[in-house]
Amino acid sequence: MTTQPTPPSFAVVGHPNKGKSSIVSSLAMDDTIAISDTPGTTTHKRRFPLKVDGEVLYELYDTPGFQRARQALAWLKQHDVSADKRHEVVEAFIRAHQEDERFHDEIELLAPIMAGAGIIYVVDASKPYGEEYEAEMEILRWTGQPSMALINQIGESDYSAEWRRALGNYFQIVRSFDPMHLSLEQHLKVLESMAQLREEWTAQVKRSIALFESYHARLIERSATVITKLLYHALSHVERYVLGEDEVQASQKQALEMQYKGRLRRFEEESQQRIEQIWNHRNLKKEERELTFEGIDLFSEESASLFGLTRKEMLLTATGTGAATGAGIDLMLGGSSFMLGTGIGAIAGGIGALFAFDKLSQIRLLGQTLGSRYLEMGPMENRNFPYILLGRILYHTTRIATLSHAYRGEVDLVMDQRFKERWFDSDRRKRLERFHRLFASDKTVDEKTLSEYEALITEILKGLIDGEDKLSFSLT
Amino acid sequence: MELKSYLDLYALLKEDRSSASQRRAFGLEHKELQEDPAAQLEAWTQAHRQRLTPPLLSDKVDHLLYMATLLLAAIAFVVGLFSGVGLLSYSGKEPVNLVYFLSMVVFLPLVTMSMTLFAMMRANRTKNLLVHISPAFWMERIVTLVFKKEEEWDTFAFNPRVFNWLIIKRSQLLALAFSVGLLVALLGVVATRDIAFAWSTTLELSDTQFHTFLETIALPWKVWLPSAVPSLELVAQSHYFRLGGKLSETMVAHAALLGTWWKFLAMATLFYAVVLRSIFYLLASWGLKRALREALLTLEGATLLLRDMNEPLVSTRAQDEEPLFAQPRSDYARLVTQFDGHYDHIHGWSLSKAQLGVICDALGISASECKEVGGNNTLETDRKIVEKSSGDVLLLVKAWEPPTMDFVDHLLLLASKATKVTVAPIGTDAQGFTPSPKEVAVWVRKIAALDQSNVWIKQ
Repeated sequence: MTTQPTPPSFAVVGHPNKGKSSIVSSLAMDDTIAISDTPGTTTHKRRFPLKVDGEVLYELYDTPGFQRARQALAWLKQHDVSADKRHEVVEAFIRAHQEDERFHDEIELLAPIMAGAGIIYVVDASKPYGEEYEAEMEILRWTGQPSMALINQIGESDYSAEWRRALGNYFQIVRSFDPMHLSLEQHLKVLESMAQLREEWTAQVKRSIALFESYHARLIERSATVITKLLYHALSHVERYVLGEDEVQASQKQALEMQYKGRLRRFEEESQQRIEQIWNHRNLKKEERELTFEGIDLFSEESASLFGLTRKEMLLTATGTGAATGAGIDLMLGGSSFMLGTGIGAIAGGIGALFAFDKLSQIRLLGQTLGSRYLEMGPMENRNFPYILLGRILYHTTRIATLSHAYRGEVDLVMDQRFKERWFDSDRRKRLERFHRLFASDKTVDEKTLSEYEALITEILKGLIDGEDKLSFSLT
Repeated sequence: MELKSYLDLYALLKEDRSSASQRRAFGLEHKELQEDPAAQLEAWTQAHRQRLTPPLLSDKVDHLLYMATLLLAAIAFVVGLFSGVGLLSYSGKEPVNLVYFLSMVVFLPLVTMSMTLFAMMRANRTKNLLVHISPAFWMERIVTLVFKKEEEWDTFAFNPRVFNWLIIKRSQLLALAFSVGLLVALLGVVATRDIAFAWSTTLELSDTQFHTFLETIALPWKVWLPSAVPSLELVAQSHYFRLGGKLSETMVAHAALLGTWWKFLAMATLFYAVVLRSIFYLLASWGLKRALREALLTLEGATLLLRDMNEPLVSTRAQDEEPLFAQPRSDYARLVTQFDGHYDHIHGWSLSKAQLGVICDALGISASECKEVGGNNTLETDRKIVEKSSGDVLLLVKAWEPPTMDFVDHLLLLASKATKVTVAPIGTDAQGFTPSPKEVAVWVRKIAALDQSNVWIKQ
């Protein structure tokens, strides 16, 4: 029997309030981790395994910050041992203070390290370096575990040079990292650095890198599916308002318009929520503007059906049936009737349907009328609406896809008017127009056509999220 | 692929609460189906059908369609039977013109089958006139009318392609029932009565031409059942004209020969109306199955289900719940807004002596003794500094660094020795030593949590 190798693990440690949880949040793509400016928000270590079909590729630990680093270091220094024995002293410290509340946080953060986790030490380079960090770094050195430092830039001032000089004395690798603006590229760079910490971890972490790349591509594809469905449903949607026997009132037309607009807005909201779920943003606080229909004329039309067929369909059906019956008679007469049967049958069927349609539709059978009268709105006829809707959802998706999971503020999702320039040109309009016309027609759209549209949306999204049309957003 | 699977999957997807991990686990369990999405969906439906609350939509639709089909098929059979009996009605005075019967069992099926073929080719269209004129379409409409009372029917709409094939298949079934009725009528009439068949037409057809025509019709069975192919002699003997609309003496003389027509008529009915129609029925069944397989993929949520099944499940989240963090109180009464100017002692927490000097100058404060505490000091050094502290102590702290328990330990020790301790958060030199309100708030919350009567905080 073969045993699974222990997956690489990394403990994110540091001084309180230096963005450890933000870094874990962004690397683990988890927006549920509590992040606040109150020190001590993280009270227990938490394990974030990267699992693929249940197999752990690596794990991250979010830990509380050092609270009594000087006291812990003083305890360690009481045991004067050679460098190769220092990790045993740290283990002894953990054993000795297991029940000691004073060192709860130190024990929580040191435990995963002593169990084999690599160290990711986090500092904030927007604040000056201070001597008080040295006790923490010294303790970490005593553990003997591979380590790297991440310079997190929380504020605007830049003290990274002095931090780099100090950190260089304690850590194998020093990297800058901004969890609030984490792109896939940056994410992968951090993973590359983590892979370098220990040789035996390299293969596994490299696997994770490849996985993240394909995972990211899959998220884009899933978003494109949602967008495709939104456009198809919104453009092809027909809203009906069932009428009685009286004349159509203006209020009924207005009610239908409200219903129609409401339905399209709901389609958009549901799609936005699905996209947020795809990108693991389930706790988003957002500010956005409702879909408006300014400058878009919507027309309602009175219509009726009999047995589910419209007047036109019924006319064609009756004409066809009459013609077929007449043709049968012609055939029986061996053509000697000169196709008169077909002609007469078609005319009789057509006229019958034309005049009997209204009467028949009012007949009640089994408690229901055979037909119904209604006001109808849709499919969308306005040629610009698809681009307004598509622009909005593309903006939303791009924003969500590039939003850090560490961000806890309110996200401004109101579309920038210049956004259109990023993805829209005459070539794209030409390619999209074909699909939009089809969606807004009453023809059935097959899976193949939807897949083609989805491929086009994927291409646009890739450009906006990763490629040359890439956007950068400021988080305020 | 059955209609039931399609309807059950529709109902399952509508109410589905399965997690991504459950879906992926199912996908991995049925890896052999990965290349066949429809089979995957069918297997998933099979495995999860028990989750649906009875009565199932599929059972209701199935039952109604079955009942309606059975009823209409019975009607079609009876109509076929009576049409056959009517066409073959024989008074004994004049022969039965077999052209009528032949039209019904050969030409009518060929015409309707051509229309069916055309409808099959256009089955992908939403609006299909050939489907609309089918009796089966009207059957579905009536079923819908009955079923519309059910709430769920309002939200359910068949995929147009499935709907078209459903009608085409049922049309073939009805036509088949009608044809079987004709065949039964023919066999019944032949068995119970002695019929003299003849042929008559307004068209100018010679016996030879009509014989050639009949031989063409009989081509499919000519080789292996020659007795069911009328001979030229029989054709000639059976020809009668409208002006002599009764049995001629020649006909009476060859009465036994005239009766042999039935074999030809039976074979024509069997082949054109029954066998060919059965082939069309099988073709329609195959088309419906294909349409159902493809329609499965178009159901709302099916694509996502397939993706969840087939794509590796990536999880990055913590398995355990995060303990709730209680936000400390932010109100504190012992606040000072201005420095006193002079203190008995000034301590700088993690501030070097040089920094302390610069800050004191900048803030215009002084003390008898200024000491560096925390930072790189040993605990022993700090303890000694605290021992020597008394009276009014100003403890300067870096506002941007959050208060650690190391600081708290020091403060509590200091508070036990001094008369009054004022904690003053200081901003960076870039800030002109003025802290931001946000930074001060963090310190206020921490000091408030300690609630020491002689500890004050400078806002």
